[in-house]
Amino acid sequence: MKIGIIGVGCSKFGVRDTTIQELAFEAVKEALDDANITQDDVNISVVGSVGTRNYELMPAVPVNEYCGFSGKGPIRVESACATGSSAVYTAYASIASGVAEVAIAIGVEKMTEVETPVSLAVGGRAGNYLWEFHQYGTTFPAYYAMHASSHMAKYGTTEEQMALVAVKAHRNAVKNPKAHLQKEIDVETVLNSRVIAYPLKLFDCSPISDGASAVILASESKVKELGADAVWIEGIGYSSDTSNMTRRESFVGLKASVEASRMAYRMAKIDNPVNQLDIATVHDCFTIAEIIAYEDLGFCRKGEGGRFIEDGESDFGGKIPVNTFGGLKAKGHPLAATGTAMVYEIVKQLREEAGKLQAEIKNYAGLTHNIGGTGHFAWVFVLRR
Amino acid sequence: MYIKSRNLLLGHKIAVNKTEKYWKGLEYGKIYKTVCECGREYYPPQAECSFCRKETEWVEIDGYGVVETFTVVQSVPSGFEWIKAYTIAIARFGNVRVMGWGNESVKVGDRVRAYTQKDESGVWKVYFEVV
Repeated sequence: MKIGIIGVGCSKFGVRDTTIQELAFEAVKEALDDANITQDDVNISVVGSVGTRNYELMPAVPVNEYCGFSGKGPIRVESACATGSSAVYTAYASIASGVAEVAIAIGVEKMTEVETPVSLAVGGRAGNYLWEFHQYGTTFPAYYAMHASSHMAKYGTTEEQMALVAVKAHRNAVKNPKAHLQKEIDVETVLNSRVIAYPLKLFDCSPISDGASAVILASESKVKELGADAVWIEGIGYSSDTSNMTRRESFVGLKASVEASRMAYRMAKIDNPVNQLDIATVHDCFTIAEIIAYEDLGFCRKGEGGRFIEDGESDFGGKIPVNTFGGLKAKGHPLAATGTAMVYEIVKQLREEAGKLQAEIKNYAGLTHNIGGTGHFAWVFVLRR
Repeated sequence: MYIKSRNLLLGHKIAVNKTEKYWKGLEYGKIYKTVCECGREYYPPQAECSFCRKETEWVEIDGYGVVETFTVVQSVPSGFEWIKAYTIAIARFGNVRVMGWGNESVKVGDRVRAYTQKDESGVWKVYFEVV
């Protein structure tokens, strides 16, 4: 069964003075216009929202109502920072099962309604509250910082190499009108910024952003009926790992990432990702996360991620351009909106509609890699036009 | 224009009956893991083996551990306002890894001894001392 993406939309990411439903509507409007359909054509809606920072704790129904989908779903999904990908998967599965012909996946998050220390405390609960946060105050920067410390000790990865991820992200985000942070920075800016959780500094971290994005999927017969220029979901991979960091096999990679990517590669018949994919979005919530992702996804060997960014292999003209849209690091990371926004960015690239950020497209294939927590959830999609 | 929401204060009572031995143990300087007859070891401890579904046995962790990773948290979350910064480390003790607070000079590869102490907010936990 082939299932295609026929419409995508994305709000501007940043500190947004809208309610969660108004924010979601920005993305939904754009996606419906993009697919050239109306709400009447959609059979079911999936609303992804972590929803622990906004005033509306159970936002699915208000979002669904404002977007004109009352009566169709909503199915609410939550997988921490990978919620958007779970929403796409749920929409995909509802079409694959024959329940729906057209389904919409909406990812939306308001993160700026609470103060930063509250946001850190809520985020820290995305590991294991009782055994980690309660006793030790494991914030999310702290979790990734521990991966960074381990990677630095084992492979000699440097703070400068991590900073290069941020520099690339900011350089790209300047050209992305939807991005939260639109300011170029250099390595010194990153190295001299204040420590959040050693060795991660302010500019190693994605900002706290509001945002929404939406993806409309359709069955092959519906794609034909609509005459749509679809981007097909060719590969899906997912996995998960322990909530307790102490129970992980290692801290230099995310096992769930490796497993999810291999599953997606098998399904999409990819054996050499760097050669067969034109472009990738990876989960760079922190700079170290992008370096680890190059390795886990098989773009380079384990331990060589630092060198991969240093050599420009993940930039335009490199082996595989990664996060050309500015990444989570600079476009922003409104949790549930991230997975659906990654699909948005890859669809734009494969349709060659990415404007100043357009990469060279030869195989018409791209990848999204979306992590929830520190590999608590992992989702990989291979898309092809 | 913004409207301030009505405040919502969430404070939970957490049932720790099945792991009471661990929580009580901390107050006596003891750190427990649990071990199943199938060979699996659990830290944090749990009273049942998730895989063979049998009850596990409580075993004290002692001796020295080796630090596998660490971080120094300087942007402190709410709930920890009483401290300016803290170091979290994870050390391996035999077949299990233990999380604890250490001092700022801790490094990957350091040999540590684990001890327990009550923090300023009244929570008992594991601390590491480099030896």
